[in-house]
Formats: sequence, structure tokens, C-alpha cells
Amino acid sequence: MSAPNVSDRMTAKREVRRIKNLPTVPGVVAKISRMVENPETSAAEVGKLISQDQVLSAKVLRMANSAFFGMSRKISNIPSALMILGFDVVKGLVLTSSVFDMIQKSMGGLWEHSIGCAAAAGAVATALGRDDAEEILVAGLLHDLGKVVLALNMPDEVAMIRAKVEEENLFFYEAETAILDFHHGEVGLWLAEHWNLPESLGEPMRLHHNPERAVVYPECTAIVHIADSIIRGWGFGFPGDSLVPPISPAAWEMLGLKVTDFPAILDILEPKLANLSELTQAS
Amino acid sequence: MKRISIEHAQPGQILAQKLQRSDGVLLAGQGAEVTEGLLRMLARMNVDTIVIEEDNQMTPEELEEAFQKRQAEVTQRFVRVEDQPIMVALKNALVDKAQRERDEALASMIPAAGSEEEGKK
Repeated sequence: MSAPNVSDRMTAKREVRRIKNLPTVPGVVAKISRMVENPETSAAEVGKLISQDQVLSAKVLRMANSAFFGMSRKISNIPSALMILGFDVVKGLVLTSSVFDMIQKSMGGLWEHSIGCAAAAGAVATALGRDDAEEILVAGLLHDLGKVVLALNMPDEVAMIRAKVEEENLFFYEAETAILDFHHGEVGLWLAEHWNLPESLGEPMRLHHNPERAVVYPECTAIVHIADSIIRGWGFGFPGDSLVPPISPAAWEMLGLKVTDFPAILDILEPKLANLSELTQAS
Repeated sequence: MKRISIEHAQPGQILAQKLQRSDGVLLAGQGAEVTEGLLRMLARMNVDTIVIEEDNQMTPEELEEAFQKRQAEVTQRFVRVEDQPIMVALKNALVDKAQRERDEALASMIPAAGSEEEGKK
């Protein structure tokens, strides 16, 4: 499990043919990416583009006003969201809103697990005194997109995977690897490349089960990894199995966490989960 | 606690979280009781939802049973990692939190002994 990046990408290119029709990147996300490549694009222009899609905007604002961010003021429009939360976070919320339907369709409980993981990632980041909790939270929202693609693309295989999980008490990624030779982390990598997502999302999507391999965003990846175990321990949502995977000691030590931090993290997390019910209901 | 829309709010419910105006001014504190007047004011201000304390209608026996169930569920999730100290610590922290919630719920069920100083927490 310590193969270098080059070999992973070659394997990825071979395997991507097994997944027919990787979904195309949501139009608005592609447009935003293109706009942002032009350094003269203003935040106002990006705001206008997003605001044109009212259904999307409504979803983005719902998330912006939800318990994750704990804002004392209501964010009532996209330009305010851009100003208060920053561009990267809003782009992440746009992406999340765009794939919301896909996530809901893929696996029951996965959306809840994803927002729970986001809340837990935010809680860990806050407990660590970081000022980028919102960006890390977005990575938590999207970390299992690879699983979504798998469930929608290879439903028969996923049914086999889920049966194997039940029968042998496996982690989902163990059953995936046994049946497919790859798991949702690799699928996340392919998707992130296909959709031209930033590494701040791509690395956690790919490496949240192997955080010690992250090189560009190791701390964010480690936090998402730990948040995943925490939210599974809590039992909020369903990510495909009912087990808590081990926290990587390397990731743990890199962040400087102590076991005495757990109660504080859970105390930050609990009210967020209590208030997320509005996001778990269909809009 | 749970978030409900203003339309479903009832006088007598207790706010689990404070309500602030968009400029930060406090409208009602945590623990305040919902009244008709408050609801009218919130409606005028286009506040859509409030967070209220849920009715705790469980008996002590039911609370204990719920805690035992949660403890068992949490423990079961950690079966593959029981030999790892960090994971055991996480499991214990989760169980401790459930225990504290049970204890708080039990404590809030003890009726006030008629003293005027004891009010709602």
C-alpha cells in the first residue's frame, strides 16, 4: 500500500475504462473553474453566475446557513456567502449542491454520513485551533464521492460488496478491494481528475483511508480521515458498513491530537448534528 | 434539541439556542420560553426557524435502557479496533457523552422543591 504516485495513476488509467461513463462535471462547476482561471474574473461575476440558477442557489444558501458554519447572521444571498465564507468554500458548496441528487440516489444514509463527516471535520479543525475549518469541512462533505460514482455505475458489484461486508464483517473499502482490486478512494481520484477538482478536495477524496500518503494537503486529509472514524463511531448516517476503521497513528501524531481532545471534539460536534436535520430532509 | 419552523412552534416550548437579530442583537436567550409575542415578532423579522428543547417524556427506566442500547451499539462498531488505544479512547469518549446526556436528562426530571430560586436552567 505504499506504491508511488506514478504507479497509482497508471493503474488509475487502466481501471478507469472499467467505469463506463464517469459522470460529467456539473455545468456550473465547470463554468466557475473556467472563470476562475481568468485572473480578471471578479467575485461579483462568479456570484452572478451562481445566482442565475435559483434551485442551486437555494441549496447553497441552505448549507451556508446551516449548523456547520455557526454563523450568527443569516446569509441571504450568494454575494454575501462569497464575502463571508470565501470563494473556495462557496465553490465547494456549489459542487455539493450539484451532486446532492446523485448522492441521495447512490446509497441510503450516505448523504447523512457525508454531512456528519463534514461536521466532525469542522469540529476537529476547531478543536485544533485552525482557521480553515470551513475549507476542511467542505472536503468532509465530498470525501465519499468515489463511492457515489461506484454505486451509480456498478450497482451489481456494489450489491456484491455490500453482501460481503455483511457476511464477513468487513470495512467497505476491504470488500471493494477484494472484489474490484480498487476502492472508492481510487474512484475519487479519477473523478477529481475528470472534473478538474483542486487537490484540496482530490487528496481527501482519494486518501481518507490512507492519509499518511497525502503530500499536498496532509493535514486536511488527516482531519477528514479522523472525522470519518468519529462520525462512524457516533453512528450518524450510513457509509456502507457499520464499523469504525482505525485512525492512522501517523495522521494522529502529525496533527498533534491527544485522546483527551475527544470529549471537547464531541461537545463541539453534538449541537451541529442536532441542527443538521434540516439538511437531511429532502428539499 | 431540534429545529422547527415558526409555523409549528407552540407557546411553552423552550428555546435550546439563543435567537439573534441579523445585526447580532439578542432577541431571546437560551432557555427562554416561546410566547405568542415572541412568535409574532419573529414572523415580522422573517425568522423561519427556531431550535427548541425536545420534550423529555422518557421515564428513568427508559432513559437507562436507551443509554444501554447506545452503549452496545457504539461498542459493536469498534469490534475490529478494540486493540488500539486511540480507538478505545474514542469509544469511551462516545459512551461517556451518552452517559452524561442520560445523567443530565435524569437530573432535569427531579422536580423543583418549591423554592423560588430554582428556575428553569
